[in-house]
Amino acid sequence: MSEFLGYIRPNGDVGIRNHVLILSGTVYANGVVERVADTIHGAVPITHANGRCQVAPDLRVTRRFLAGTAMNPNVGAVVIIDHFREEGMTAEDLADDIAPTGKPIATVNIRGDGGFISAIEKATRYAQDFTRRISLESREAAPLSKILFGTECGTSDTTSGLASNPANGLAGELLIAQGGRMLMAECTEWMGCENWLTEKAASPAIADAIVAGVQHMEARALASGEDIRGSQPTGDNMAGGLTTIEEKSMGAVKKIGDSPIIEYLEIAEAPTKTEPGNYVMYGPGMGAESISSMAAAGCQVLTFCTGGGHTSNHPIMPTIKVTGNRGSFELMRDTVDVDVSGVFYDEITLAEAGQIVFDEVARVCNGYLTKSEALRDNNSFAIHRVGPSV
Amino acid sequence: MKKVFVVYATDNVGTAVLEPICTGDHVSCNGERSDLEVIAQADIAYGHKIALMDIAAGDTVLKYGLSIGSALCDIKAGDHVHTHNVESNRGRGDLA
Repeated sequence: MSEFLGYIRPNGDVGIRNHVLILSGTVYANGVVERVADTIHGAVPITHANGRCQVAPDLRVTRRFLAGTAMNPNVGAVVIIDHFREEGMTAEDLADDIAPTGKPIATVNIRGDGGFISAIEKATRYAQDFTRRISLESREAAPLSKILFGTECGTSDTTSGLASNPANGLAGELLIAQGGRMLMAECTEWMGCENWLTEKAASPAIADAIVAGVQHMEARALASGEDIRGSQPTGDNMAGGLTTIEEKSMGAVKKIGDSPIIEYLEIAEAPTKTEPGNYVMYGPGMGAESISSMAAAGCQVLTFCTGGGHTSNHPIMPTIKVTGNRGSFELMRDTVDVDVSGVFYDEITLAEAGQIVFDEVARVCNGYLTKSEALRDNNSFAIHRVGPSV
Repeated sequence: MKKVFVVYATDNVGTAVLEPICTGDHVSCNGERSDLEVIAQADIAYGHKIALMDIAAGDTVLKYGLSIGSALCDIKAGDHVHTHNVESNRGRGDLA
């Protein structure tokens, strides 16, 4: 079995990066989080608009996103900053969720620690200590079976379903052959392809969950008072030639290959199984929420297939952009990593395109920076909402 | 002769992913329908679809061998196939 060089965590997980995370517990701690992260070498801030006045089911999902992001193997240590107290999601609650990973965690409460300036000082000292401590850790050999490989598509056009997505599905099969797992979310984009997915389900219960997940997302869109056609396909999808959600879905599901679907996950939920194969997760087609849910589930690396080209990049999960549209690669070459458009011009076969994607994933797992990482364009942390602000 | 890409043998549309197509171009198919030829009745932008045969109003538009929606009007071989003449059958509430 092939190996890569990663950071082996106390719980046996293996990271491909070693970040100190400065995690905001609530919107009102974002300012402190940004100041601390600005000061500390290599620190990554996670800020968001949530954590206050959410109904309980929605707050539980937010908690899963935040704790899961900190639990991700790419995070070496965590400083959590809270403003005062939110029932059901204090900094201590988040620390309790993260603690089983065994990584260093500190909590700071802006009110409890003496206000904005004092909280910045305290959190900065924790972060300085952590970033020096984890700088002593080095990469060690680990099996590729430790990789949970997330996959996403966005700003799709008709090249996506014909080149980048099927190449990605083949890359996933190469990882699965090494014992790894591949995770696909965005159940809106399974609409019209339910049978193609349920045929791969390892059990009838998984097949039922796939169909129910799509129905739930369809109903959720209709409950807004307008049907899904106003938002899916998106304007850029249609400019690229995609006509209906069904057509978009058929391209989208090709991001995974033919291996069995081992488990169905709720949004931002970590897999409970370790068998190699495909895993699927409930969630929206909204890219930033979707890839954040996969980072929270523990994906160390993600391929983002894009017809139109994309800037999406998760702050702690390297996000490799792959396109089958040569024009988009030229226009968006600052942030798109891999061009597989050669399949249309008889320059490469689809199987060769799959190997190219897999090789890039393996390089990034070994530490090679993606284009967006090099630019520190960490634009794609977002939390899916399942209830109103109240 | 220009070329479009056809995914599945039963598809009634092809995709212009090799080059854009202009009205009057003779168009042949890569992939699963190398036997088919049509004359473009409209400009087909890169990434957009062309009808490979006549598709009657209400008929199913097929790509990947699966339905991507229904024809809103009669579509002639060589026509541009997109949101102006195809509609989705999913996620809309007014269809079973």
